[in-house]
Amino acid sequence: MSALPWLVALWLFAIGFYGMMTSRHYVHLIGCLSVMQSGTYVLLLAAGFRWGAGPPIFSDHPPGTPAVDPVVQALVLTDIVVGAAVTALLLALALQLHKRRGTLDPEELKPMRR
Amino acid sequence: MTPLLAGLLLLVAATGAGVVLTRQPRRQVMAMAANGLALTVLFTALQAPDVAFSQLVVGTAAVPLLFLAVLASIRLHRPEEKE
Amino acid sequence: MSPRARGILATLAALALAPGALAVLRAMPAFGDHPLPYGDAVNRIAPAERIVSNMVTAVNFDLRGFDTLGEEVMLLAAVVGTVVVLRGSRGEGVGDRPATCGDRPIPPRSEAVVLLCRIIAPLTLLYGLYVVLHAQLTPGGGFQGGAIIGSGLLLVWVGEGYNAWRRLVPGVVLHALEGGGAGLYALMGFGAMLTGAAFLTNVLPLGEWGSILSGGVIPVVNFGVGLAVSGAFGMLFLEFLEETREPKDGEEP
Repeated sequence: MSALPWLVALWLFAIGFYGMMTSRHYVHLIGCLSVMQSGTYVLLLAAGFRWGAGPPIFSDHPPGTPAVDPVVQALVLTDIVVGAAVTALLLALALQLHKRRGTLDPEELKPMRR
Repeated sequence: MTPLLAGLLLLVAATGAGVVLTRQPRRQVMAMAANGLALTVLFTALQAPDVAFSQLVVGTAAVPLLFLAVLASIRLHRPEEKE
Repeated sequence: MSPRARGILATLAALALAPGALAVLRAMPAFGDHPLPYGDAVNRIAPAERIVSNMVTAVNFDLRGFDTLGEEVMLLAAVVGTVVVLRGSRGEGVGDRPATCGDRPIPPRSEAVVLLCRIIAPLTLLYGLYVVLHAQLTPGGGFQGGAIIGSGLLLVWVGEGYNAWRRLVPGVVLHALEGGGAGLYALMGFGAMLTGAAFLTNVLPLGEWGSILSGGVIPVVNFGVGLAVSGAFGMLFLEFLEETREPKDGEEP
């Protein structure tokens, strides 16, 4: 039971990978990529968690009270925002592809099959 | 493992699978927003309010909106779309 | 490779990797009950050393300040890439009418939507600014506040329509926010070098506990990030929504 967070992180990564592999639409594929990414968020935050500890913000409770790990939270926080911008870049590429080739199905976009 | 955390983790796992298994992109946007909301609640329960804040804004508002704009644009630039 | 062959290959790869994944799972520490050396060190030292109460901000903008500069540049690069890719084929003009899908009419905005947006949009932008400015004290910071401001700008579009939105939020301002914010961050790092310290050393006075200006360099670089992220999200929305407009004659290839 104690392994549930790690299992959920693994599950998100695996199902996102499965979705990317079987996707027939590039926009859907980018959504699957974000699911894979959220697996890493769950893994990192679960690794920094501690039973009975509060958030690492000492405005309500004084410094010195038990708190969870702020380092992993800082990592995940920046990654969420930067990840959104990278998702936007991928979407722009997909849009461009659609304008050039008129389709977003990876199977129809084999380079030799014009 | 408290029931709350276990339930939230399972919810995130289920909504994540929902995003992948919703094959139609326009419906997938809604699944993504639901997944973002589930992640937000999970991060709050893991004592990470900063991260939950970030996930709330980005995961439930900004990214689904970008996807919607892209889907609208795809529809507009292909009038002879076969759906 | 056919989808079928790809599926078989992926299943074989998953079967090959499964023992490793199981071994890692068994070796993982118990959830919520293992030492956190770095986190505990930050929680013990940073409140006294940096006079900030939000440890996540302290890690982001001081202890890991150089890494965050890297993240900032990644954001800048991704946004610039998006803009270049989208404008490369569309041109820089502003479409003056919405593109329609076949002969489907465009529904007019209802007065309730306009009223709600006029009330909520300023409040959202103000709240975003609050979140940016109180990074060292309460949950929030430049990344979250910037995203709130950037998304709040969309309420102007919902309430006032596309053309008013483009007039009220000119692209030039967003470009300046994006570049200026990232520039402020980097300049703050070089500013520390002028005093003889290393890049991004916290050279400013630390202030008092609980003050909005406490933390020395932290509020400054955090504000830079807030500017850059709000500019980035504003630009992303602007570029993607411009894609849904009717192109001006002769711009579409």
